[in-house]
Amino acid sequence: MQEMDCRSFKDLLDSYLSQELAIETNHAVLRHAEQCGGCRAEMAARRQLRSTLRRACSRESMSEEACQQLRVLLHAAANDQAGEREHIASKPRKVFSRYFNLRFASVAATVALLFVAGLAFSYYLSLSVSKAQSVELSTALFDQSAEDHLTCATRFVNSNGHGAMPESVKTYDPTYLALDRIAEVGAEGLQLRSAHLCSGGGRKFAHLVYTRHTQVISLLVTERDGRSLKLGKVPANDGADIKLQQAARNHLVLDAYQTTKHIVLVVSDLPQTENVILAERLALPVAEHLRRVERTSTVRHHPEWRIGARDNLDNLIGQSTINHFPIR
Amino acid sequence: MTIISGISDLIQNNAQQNISIFEAEALVYADQLFRVALKLCRDRAKAEDLIQETYLQAWRSFHRFEPGTNLRAWLYKILFNVFYSGQRRERLELVPVEETIAETMAYDPPTPQHLTEEEVLLALERMPRDFQIPIVLADVEELSYREIADALQIPVGTVMSRLHRGRKMLRMELANYARGAGYQVAE
Repeated sequence: MQEMDCRSFKDLLDSYLSQELAIETNHAVLRHAEQCGGCRAEMAARRQLRSTLRRACSRESMSEEACQQLRVLLHAAANDQAGEREHIASKPRKVFSRYFNLRFASVAATVALLFVAGLAFSYYLSLSVSKAQSVELSTALFDQSAEDHLTCATRFVNSNGHGAMPESVKTYDPTYLALDRIAEVGAEGLQLRSAHLCSGGGRKFAHLVYTRHTQVISLLVTERDGRSLKLGKVPANDGADIKLQQAARNHLVLDAYQTTKHIVLVVSDLPQTENVILAERLALPVAEHLRRVERTSTVRHHPEWRIGARDNLDNLIGQSTINHFPIR
Repeated sequence: MTIISGISDLIQNNAQQNISIFEAEALVYADQLFRVALKLCRDRAKAEDLIQETYLQAWRSFHRFEPGTNLRAWLYKILFNVFYSGQRRERLELVPVEETIAETMAYDPPTPQHLTEEEVLLALERMPRDFQIPIVLADVEELSYREIADALQIPVGTVMSRLHRGRKMLRMELANYARGAGYQVAE
């Protein structure tokens, strides 16, 4: 066999270290390394680089908090899936075949078919309702938001308290926990004065208070319930295609985005056009985040997540099945 | 009615059993996936979101996963699917310019020795993502070419050429750095 030169050695070295070469080529590489000191050093250096790279890249790991959130989400999804399957048993699944015989399956299929037909009909009805009446936000919601901005935000104008949402927020609504981090993307040029839960006019808000020079800006997130909509109830609409809505209260301007389960508002005494720009920067990423979370999880359907249900929540997180399997 | 409730119990138990199996088998890879997500997103919060979405999707299609095949590779595939669907535009912006640069570098300097983890990480971060990700998948996470190709949805040949150029690019970057910092390099 022809002897290998330094150039081909260097070309093949990475493949050699990844153990991808044929046996004969492997031998040729090793033979060359035996004879050539420079190439031997290069082999050692690349091997070293590889292990340094591996060590360097393996340092990061997910935070405890994120791991736990992941488990909770998965369990919520599993419970939800079980709920869905209970009703819609029309899809044939491998696991089912063990429990279903043919006669029973046909009865179940009929029940499911009727149910699906019913669902489709009610969806059709709800669609025509939401088309007839658009999902306008209620006057009460804008009043409450303006009030919250006036009474609450102004207290934090000079606060240089830490901006992070307190952990306790998640007992109310876990999706609020990361609000400050998500809003941060669009908050360039603004100073975050406070992040907290508060209520204005009897409505609960997650509240981020920002200042820019002497102006105070509020980012408010609240539940999209019946009272927040002109319709008086939440339509079967995912809220994803609803455009920004604006309202004015005295000197205040409010811009609001809707998601399926939340309303995100930006309130300030800036000119209308500036408030819109701020809303796009601050509120839109938050709304998009919420839409994503709402699409992927049904956590909020859980009664356990509701206000004042801390014990239930702890139970949910502490369920033995959740902690059985260490993540690392 | 009792039959119906009996079935719903069965289904409920089944879902709980399945989620336990899924957790036991899939969650052990969460950190590995997270590290790749971090390279993709370059932001912890976004990477954590990406992992959540990946696992939710994986759970939803877990019944389609064939036991005995490589679960880790399957999870990576979902990870990139989720990532790409969120960034359709960016995916099209592959970097032909960078590729040609890599192609012309006939000069292969000796690899510096005794580099710190920080120096290597920094050099890796400076590389275009199209070359960085295959390196992480192959040299750190030890996925096969086939698995990387499946995950990134590119041909195996492309994986190989990106790896070849990427590794070279990383060494060049480090050699340039080392020369600047007065490091010893083997000749």
